[in-house]
Amino acid sequence: MDLSTILLTIVNKMDGERTIYAGYHLLRGKRSGQTLQDVEYYGVKSFFGILPKLSMEQFEEAAQQLEQAGYLAKNDDALAFVTEKGRMRVGQCPSYQFNGWDYRGREWVFFERLSLIVQTVSNMGAGERSFMPIQKEQAIQDFVKTLLVKQPISEPQFAQSIADELKRSIRQSGMDELQKTILTHRLSGFRMTGWTWDQLADQLKRNSFDIRLLFIESLHRLLTVVHTSDDFPFLRKVAANIKVTSYLTESSMKTKQLFERGMSLEEIAAARNLKRSTIEDHFVEMAINDPQFPLSQFVSEEYATDVIAKVNELGTRRLRILKSEFNALSYFQLRLILGARTGGNA
Amino acid sequence: MDLYKVLKDQFGFEQFRPGQEAVISHVLAGNDTIAILPTGMGKSLCYQLPAYLLSGTVLIVSPLVALMEDQVAIMKKNGEKRVVALNSFLTHREKNRMIGDLAKYKFIFISPEMLGRHQVLQQLRAIDLALIVVDEAHCVSQWGFDFRPDYLRIGTFFQGLKRPVILALTATADDKVTNDIRSYLQLTSPVIHRESVDRPNISYNMLQVDNDAEKTEWIKTRLLSTTGPGIIYVSSRKRADTLAGVLQESGIAAAAYHAGKGQEDRAFIQEQFINGELSWICATNAFGMGIHKDDIRQVIHEHIPATIAGYVQEVGRAGRDGKQSVVTLLHAPEDIPKTRFIMQDDIPQEEEIRYYEKLLGENKQADEAAEWARISETGKRIIDYYRERMSLKEVIAQMRELIRDKERQLEQMVRIVHTEQCVREQLLAYFGERKTWQPEFCCSNCDHAQPLLEKSLVMPNSTKTLMSWEERLNLLLVRQIDWKEAGTGQK
Repeated sequence: MDLSTILLTIVNKMDGERTIYAGYHLLRGKRSGQTLQDVEYYGVKSFFGILPKLSMEQFEEAAQQLEQAGYLAKNDDALAFVTEKGRMRVGQCPSYQFNGWDYRGREWVFFERLSLIVQTVSNMGAGERSFMPIQKEQAIQDFVKTLLVKQPISEPQFAQSIADELKRSIRQSGMDELQKTILTHRLSGFRMTGWTWDQLADQLKRNSFDIRLLFIESLHRLLTVVHTSDDFPFLRKVAANIKVTSYLTESSMKTKQLFERGMSLEEIAAARNLKRSTIEDHFVEMAINDPQFPLSQFVSEEYATDVIAKVNELGTRRLRILKSEFNALSYFQLRLILGARTGGNA
Repeated sequence: MDLYKVLKDQFGFEQFRPGQEAVISHVLAGNDTIAILPTGMGKSLCYQLPAYLLSGTVLIVSPLVALMEDQVAIMKKNGEKRVVALNSFLTHREKNRMIGDLAKYKFIFISPEMLGRHQVLQQLRAIDLALIVVDEAHCVSQWGFDFRPDYLRIGTFFQGLKRPVILALTATADDKVTNDIRSYLQLTSPVIHRESVDRPNISYNMLQVDNDAEKTEWIKTRLLSTTGPGIIYVSSRKRADTLAGVLQESGIAAAAYHAGKGQEDRAFIQEQFINGELSWICATNAFGMGIHKDDIRQVIHEHIPATIAGYVQEVGRAGRDGKQSVVTLLHAPEDIPKTRFIMQDDIPQEEEIRYYEKLLGENKQADEAAEWARISETGKRIIDYYRERMSLKEVIAQMRELIRDKERQLEQMVRIVHTEQCVREQLLAYFGERKTWQPEFCCSNCDHAQPLLEKSLVMPNSTKTLMSWEERLNLLLVRQIDWKEAGTGQK
């Protein structure tokens, strides 16, 4: 697993309709109207925000590698598409089990909690009551304290049960051996120090960026297992509030509330002192995420059906092309239709 | 009041380290005190011990969040739970909660920025303060190498109020800095206690080489033939990474440490170093403050530090256990311009200041304006302080003066690097002290025979071995039961 194959997978899904930078914004989890729509249209939710700190240099390097290898090319509009050779390469890629849309970087919080718990239980179990906490952040420390306070942390059975849940969930998650090694060596405890990314990279003969990608994916796999099975009561507590509960941005949430109170788009824009286009973005976000979104308030059902038929006929979701087919509709209306009707299962 | 009893009961020590008892006595006698104690002399005991003899809370102003958190963690580790750190990295909620119940803490660590907040100040004034401690007090001085304008405000925070005794702590301060501390903190006829900066068990070495490649070679050879643990101070993050790579390839257990590494990685490296899994750290000056390791045998600089004070602080991390240690400064002819560049880069120049001012006039956000004008974080902090107080012209003049002063400090450092006289004598003279006796292994100018630092047989090498994931989980969580039964886990 490396950045360039992930990027190739993304471009392949975007199918020559976006520039390479759409992938950059997607990986960083940019919460703009465009990126949020792309996520839906192209079915790339799983990659959303898996690398919030990705630098432009790293991204461009990965893109260049793909071009040089002949997997990826750009057309005159600078839109990126996957070549025949690239398509074959995509076919060989392992299937990634990221779930960026649900976790958005919060998987790190899960791990930070877990690592402090393991360190604490490991030390307490060995009779060592004082140690330097590996996690310095107050919120993490408070969470762990609250969780452990009612637990028999010095009891061997308790440590055993955590080890047991961890082993079973790791096995069930389907992560590979490499990932198991990375995950467990990032944990530390009594007389056992953790391994830095560089040290892991050095021993595993991979670069440390790829090691981190493997780590992130392994956390997503682990979280999925913990959330879907009832067999891991303790880990489920550790994973509390990790999954996002509302897919709307905070700002969109406010717009939604005002809309539900009966305000029009213009009134909301005036009340919130925001540009009309921003409020439009919020509506599109709502259309994407809310199955109950009242599309008919904005455009007739006939138009919606026609647009979707056209999308399927032409095999494109590019707004400019759709606009030339449906001149009577505004871009905003087209985006709402696409959002509401081609949502999740696109 | 038996100081020794408290020392034994609360801290488990039989003896004070040099200077501690005197400083504590001054504080308890109700005197404002400036204590200049070399690194590793146990500065924190000077306020922790009085806390148990005074009623009320001890407020500690500390410049670095990392340092603060480290200190808090250590105190908690030692069983003192009534301690809290207030800094701007906390979330809004955390902050409000803490500020709400400040009175329940015995020790409050606070950053100078937070002290500037009205709400915080209100709360602090409402509680019973036993003592105010200004840690790293040299930061108050613009002549110092760590000037923090926020520190200048400390004095005014408590103006006009009945305030408790102030204890100003620092590792290094010449007369100029001491005077700044006295006047800016508005101390009333303070007692000044200065412990000698002399460290007889450290042998000082200056070594000229031709270029950077030679430095790398020297370091490699040195590390393969002499003992660690040690720290190598380098001038950039990138260099820290590459040097650590080179050393690892030679089989040396080394790692890089700098602010660019993640929090967990930094914690792992510190722990590995303290446990002895790593013998060498290639570090920027981000490493050191808050490192508690007594058996560091060597400190190597492969660049010229910008100030003598900074240099003394960094080499002072060697040999805290009192055993023979060696510090070496490698320098090449091209180093002086390099250091000068780094030093000047931190201080905003005239055009940058004017551009910054212009952007602010156009209602740009301050952070963004500073970035556009290519002004560093430190630089912004400094100008912002002066901008509140003087005209643009004066600010520019002030910055010029600052550069001239830094230049002077660098010259003094360079002079010591090139001196043919005793290095120890020169360093002491800079702090107004005289060398009173001659250690066996003094410096590269006194005696070319260096102490024998034979590589010990138990030095770790760079091969760390991964274990199977299940084995690791067992060792972390299950097999510790054996440790407990064997009694090895007990302190």
